[in-house]
Amino acid sequence: MKKAFLIGALLLIAASNAFAGNRTVIFDNTATEVAAAPAALATGEDLWVTLADLTKATKFVLKPQGVCRDELCFPIPKARKSAFLSAQGKVTWFNLSEFARLTKQPTAYDAEHLTWFFGPRPEEQNQFVSSLIAPNFRLPDANGKMRSLQEFRGKKVLLLTWASW
Amino acid sequence: MLVDEKHLVTRLYDMVNVPTAVWINEKGRIVRPNEVAYVDNRYTGMHKLQAEEYLAAIRDWAENGDRSIYALSEKELKERLAPQNPDWARASAEFGLAEYLYKNNQGSASIKHYKEAQRLNPDNWNYKRQAWALSDAEKEYGTSFMKEVQKLDGKPYYPPRRLPEPKKKN
Repeated sequence: MKKAFLIGALLLIAASNAFAGNRTVIFDNTATEVAAAPAALATGEDLWVTLADLTKATKFVLKPQGVCRDELCFPIPKARKSAFLSAQGKVTWFNLSEFARLTKQPTAYDAEHLTWFFGPRPEEQNQFVSSLIAPNFRLPDANGKMRSLQEFRGKKVLLLTWASW
Repeated sequence: MLVDEKHLVTRLYDMVNVPTAVWINEKGRIVRPNEVAYVDNRYTGMHKLQAEEYLAAIRDWAENGDRSIYALSEKELKERLAPQNPDWARASAEFGLAEYLYKNNQGSASIKHYKEAQRLNPDNWNYKRQAWALSDAEKEYGTSFMKEVQKLDGKPYYPPRRLPEPKKKN
């Protein structure tokens, strides 16, 4: 009984810590804590992150040719460089919200919990509309074993969704 | 059966209700996009759909593959599929944020984001039903599932399936 209570209490503490101090970025459906920007940048709804946090949260890296992940690169418009990058002391900060506007990535923001959600870019989301290839996914089955749609290539698949409402 | 706690499949395929099915052929190509997919008649009183015709279509496809009259050509599919509009994309982000907040014990904070998702994509029943199921729907949203269904006032709850007429056997 005591053990059950202790576990419950620990879960409660862990949940409340998810919103303590730092900012939370949800990108590619993964939540990452990032450092709070200095006061000069922490105005409005835009999220400024360090370059290290940019890579930690999104896997994008700032390179001379732009902001890149694997083969994908988005050049930063020269005329608007200051909207994307800001040097504060020894640290360079990157405006992830401005980057989302550049790439037309949908975002949602909760001011109370300092949490930003970044959805997929339109070309990611809409790829299947032109290719007609069913988007792949990996999900656990009822026993926790991860399964992917790709595994069923070579067979017909009736993908049927239900909910438990 | 797969468990999709993050609503990944509905987001990837732009699904707005359940039960929804997609038919995918051996090459991984979609041959029928999102459509209502009852395989029994337990809710026929509400939606007026009969499962038999859908089950017959599935069986025909299982037997005949892409030659089935129910498997759509690439041209037909491209006429039925549309890119997600920007409001729907924003709705999806709001819904994702609401889900994150709810799962991190911030249920009351999640409500305004569920509401914004519903406002931006009012045809998405998944957004509505998920939000209502996680709260006191009457208190927080001023409605309920049955009230919303009644508001349809004769309009179909599901978009029509548009199955072709089956070939008559000689």
